[in-house]
Amino acid sequence: MHAPVPQPGPETSGDKRRERLLYRLLYGRAADRGAKAKARVALAIAAFAAVYAVIAARLVMHAAAPDVHVARRSTAQDAVATARPDILDRNGEILATDVKAPSLFAEPRKLIEVDEAVELLTAVLPDLDAGELRERLASKRGFVWLKREIPTKQQQEIHHLGIPGVGFLDENKRVYPNGQEVSHVIGHVNIDNQGIAGIEKWLDARGLAALHTAGFATDRLQNPITLALDLRVQHALRDELLASQEKFKAKAAAGLVTDVRTGEVIAMVSLPDYDPNNPRQAIDPTRINRLTTGVYELGSTYKALTLAMALDSGKVTLASTFDARVPLRYGKFSIGDYHAQNRVLSVPEIFTYSSNIGTARMALAVGVDAHKAFLKKMGQLDRLRTELPESAEPLVPKRWGELNTVTIAFGHGLSVAPLQAVMAVGALVNGGYLIPPTFLKRSEPEARALAKIVVRPETSEKMRYLMRLNAEKGTATKADVKGYYIGGKTGTSEKVVGGRYSKTKVFNTFMAILPADQPRYLLTVMLDEPQATPETHGFSTSGWNAAPTTGKVIARIAPLLGIEPRFDLPPADRLILTSAKEAR
Amino acid sequence: MLRILHIGVLAALVLAAGDVYKIKFDSTLQAERVAKLSAEIRRERDAVAALRAEWTALDSPERIQALARRHLPLKPIDITQLDNLDQLSDRPFDLVPPVDAIGALVDVEPHGDRPTGSISEAR
Repeated sequence: MHAPVPQPGPETSGDKRRERLLYRLLYGRAADRGAKAKARVALAIAAFAAVYAVIAARLVMHAAAPDVHVARRSTAQDAVATARPDILDRNGEILATDVKAPSLFAEPRKLIEVDEAVELLTAVLPDLDAGELRERLASKRGFVWLKREIPTKQQQEIHHLGIPGVGFLDENKRVYPNGQEVSHVIGHVNIDNQGIAGIEKWLDARGLAALHTAGFATDRLQNPITLALDLRVQHALRDELLASQEKFKAKAAAGLVTDVRTGEVIAMVSLPDYDPNNPRQAIDPTRINRLTTGVYELGSTYKALTLAMALDSGKVTLASTFDARVPLRYGKFSIGDYHAQNRVLSVPEIFTYSSNIGTARMALAVGVDAHKAFLKKMGQLDRLRTELPESAEPLVPKRWGELNTVTIAFGHGLSVAPLQAVMAVGALVNGGYLIPPTFLKRSEPEARALAKIVVRPETSEKMRYLMRLNAEKGTATKADVKGYYIGGKTGTSEKVVGGRYSKTKVFNTFMAILPADQPRYLLTVMLDEPQATPETHGFSTSGWNAAPTTGKVIARIAPLLGIEPRFDLPPADRLILTSAKEAR
Repeated sequence: MLRILHIGVLAALVLAAGDVYKIKFDSTLQAERVAKLSAEIRRERDAVAALRAEWTALDSPERIQALARRHLPLKPIDITQLDNLDQLSDRPFDLVPPVDAIGALVDVEPHGDRPTGSISEAR
């Protein structure tokens, strides 16, 4: 030891001792073994302490994190069970809901005896195709579906067979407890619970599909969707339409109840319909939703739009007269009246006699461009989009000349979806607010915010008067239910058969407002090719079939909709027109 | 002194280990119960949904109407059967006091024996 060693004093400070220890460790020889060993032990202790600290920290982390294992066990079961929210009507009645149904699957790699399994399974499930089943089981895939959504009884039988590699997964099955009643509105889903039509498809488009893909939409805790539909009204409408379709041997029938103040669709029926529990029927093209997917020439119902346009333009008043003495000649075409009066008609008379000549002259008085602009404003020339994914583009003439205006004035030559026309007529009677129709619940202020003002309130008053007058002494008298003060307009359009308008095949519509002095509901009934019966005295025009059907529907649904019957009301010219004058 | 401390620490260690084991065991038990209960809740909820669907199917207007047509002599309500309460005229004065058939049954013996206790308690 030649280096200067600090002398250890009896009361050396810790600092100095550590310095000396360090010095000895660095420079010491055998004499300082004890100290060296001590340091090594300390190092080992420190290392172990660090390891244990890490373990302890991990333990705390595991304890703090949720139990992943338990959670995973339940989701494996639900992985295929894509839940959908319930669909309710406006009163909370269930229109569509999910129930659990077991589905049979196999894991072919775990299967021991394929032939035996095929034999046993086909014994329990006779509708399984043995060849296809064998092919699936013999494949070397990890997972194959054998049969989706099987009854519980068969599930138990298969369970008791005890075939290895065959098991069940609970899937959500969509059921529609009301069957055919609401088919076209709610649509239906495919086997994987994905919406493929109606509101169901709209749900998917609104983000449910993305939820499914991400695996979140597995539980039943999603908020139900409440529609504007009223199941009771829907049923009454469908029941009456079925009866009417049978009575008049019509190819198809459709009906619509809308709230003119909010644009809500309270009921929508298109017959023939289908059972959404059995969606295969929906492919049949005769079962389309005629109110949104079909486009039709609506005939005289369209005269309401022409009259409203003429009255709103200010060029025509209720006192104006138009010459309907002779058919209107236009080139090689001649336009006559069905209820021909052969005299000069006033505006209310044109409406109640449903005069083609008068309406055509009225449209010509307003002008072609103004006519086109008005229909554009009323949303008749563009595709109407609602929540329902199915919609149809109106058939608008490419070159719109005077002849087009003449025919469109009384509802020929322009094909629109009936829902579109309903929206426009609703605007004519509700004070002039064009409100896009909806299948979801909507309040009046919400509707007002969306609404576009299209005609003046005075025009709307006059339209109500005309509609009521028509029910008092026009073509709509057979729809007039005593006590409900309805108004309405008939429409009989001749169908085009082989490029010509047919005299026998007609498409009838009827639109009714309820009650006429302060319209709340607009009811539309359509009959496709109704036949004349002895009861209708050989007539097949709208006033003889669609109008009485509407009357029957109103008698049934008005109490459901809470409309109070009022008797002994004065006729239209005193009640509606007078109130309009007072208001001004 | 140090020895006593060592023994104390050791004892505490053993106790703590025992306690941690117990907590761990309990928590496993609780977790299993939670899993079981939530599975049960799901099952119950599914059962409720299935029953509600069935109820709606049984309660559907179409079915009720068919049953009512077959079994009941009821007719659809007529508009003349509906009216406002304030439109109701005053009850005409009866010269002969009306006979209250159901009331008579109740009032037979005001203080005597009654077939049920529920109607006599109030008086």
